[in-house]
Amino acid sequence: MPRYVMVIDQSRCIGCMSCVVACKRENDVPEEHYRTRVVEMVRGEFPRLRTEMRSELCNHCDNPPCVHICPTGASHQEADGTVQIDRKKCVGCKACITACPYDVRYINPEHGYADKCSFCQHRLEEGKEPACVATCVGGSRMFGDLDDPNSHVSQLLRDHSSRTLKPEVGTKPHVYYINQFPRKS
Amino acid sequence: MELHIVGTNAITYPAMHVWDWRVASYLFLGGLCGGLMTMSAVNYIRPSSKQSADAVNAWKIPVLIPILLTIGLIFLNLDLERPFHAFWFYLAFKPVSPMSWGAWIVFIIYPLLIAYALAALPDDIRGKIKYPSIRNAAENLKPHLLKLAKANIIAGVLLAIYTGVLLSSLVARPLWSTPILPVLFLVSGMSTGAALMIILAKSKETKLFFTKIDVWLIIAELTILLLMFYGHYVGDAAHQQAIAPFFSTSHEFFPYFLSIVVLGTFLPLAVILKFLEVTGEHTEELTTSSLMMMNFSAVLVLVGGAVIRFALVYAGQLSGYSAYM
Repeated sequence: MPRYVMVIDQSRCIGCMSCVVACKRENDVPEEHYRTRVVEMVRGEFPRLRTEMRSELCNHCDNPPCVHICPTGASHQEADGTVQIDRKKCVGCKACITACPYDVRYINPEHGYADKCSFCQHRLEEGKEPACVATCVGGSRMFGDLDDPNSHVSQLLRDHSSRTLKPEVGTKPHVYYINQFPRKS
Repeated sequence: MELHIVGTNAITYPAMHVWDWRVASYLFLGGLCGGLMTMSAVNYIRPSSKQSADAVNAWKIPVLIPILLTIGLIFLNLDLERPFHAFWFYLAFKPVSPMSWGAWIVFIIYPLLIAYALAALPDDIRGKIKYPSIRNAAENLKPHLLKLAKANIIAGVLLAIYTGVLLSSLVARPLWSTPILPVLFLVSGMSTGAALMIILAKSKETKLFFTKIDVWLIIAELTILLLMFYGHYVGDAAHQQAIAPFFSTSHEFFPYFLSIVVLGTFLPLAVILKFLEVTGEHTEELTTSSLMMMNFSAVLVLVGGAVIRFALVYAGQLSGYSAYM
């Protein structure tokens, strides 16, 4: 069984938002709701400024607080390490939304269930990569099996110093970030 | 058609606002019911209460508890996005989910509360019940009143504490993520329960008994509140920021500042008033002014308990860990 992770090379992100649009189209995400976002952060003091482009999405944590708090088992962890939602079991109590340190969940306004990035589970079952990865023009988002030592993501994580978001919360995310800032030319 | 892609969800950006007055009201009523269950059971169990004049009112409290809990649960159901899917709560038991525990605790407590209410009914009231099956059940349960009262003490503590456990398990919200929160909710629930007992009790002896209990509960509540804020203050940056709204006089955070002012005045004032009630000389029957003072101090405690739930539910959602690294 694979263990899926996403590696995001921040230096390759140009902030085109095509990942956000592809995600919305692929997953039929309702208007004004998003499963992924690109955060643009400017750091430093003028004129010494640096811009960080950071794609954010569900981290499919190894220790997922949303799964632990869910009273019905709607939020659950699959054998491949991804965190999924069984929509029929969701009562819309919103505990998972408050439990998520990454604020990546929302309530589907039409049906009332909690929703979030699934790593495009339906595409994974077809052997495809998530829509945001497939569409990423800069090659910033990469996806693969961490248990396969020859996979691209395994090699990237071996070759680069990586970080995860909010490690102090202890969620052990499966989304890794490398090259926080663009390389100086 | 969506023309502008912002990438943020309104429910979590710029600040989370997932739970509102409905959840806060449920937490308050849940704590109050837990406190009432325990305090009314104490009223039955304590030796001096047998056949006191308060027997007239004592039965009304076990009847009131399931009504209050039902109102709280209606609020909670109003907050559910899919209330008709609520049966899923009872098709699963998740041992690490406080919400799952809560659903099952309420499920178990309800029959206990009904049995307690039926057992507590005095003979004249029981005789007025139209349905023979209910009347017979009440008659059969009557000898078990003390056993049911003892069970209610445990169930009341569980009910009052689990709401705090629910919030404190949410590690993503630093204001809630403290092990002292369940203790605060437990003590606050017991204190509000004692306060309502004081208002509803008829005899001077019962009122003074629960006033004595409430003095210590309020002192404990204030101490725990101070310790909770101190714990956040000496914690990491996220915990320090979590309590900042309570100490900001800005327009945006004014309700939180006001809640601290209310808690900082109402609860100490209630302690002083109750201390005066306990130590003061009383006539055989309480005077109108003594009654008013007792009820006023009890109302202060009830308002304080509600303010704690509302302030913590709303402010907790403002707190979080910064993504800035």
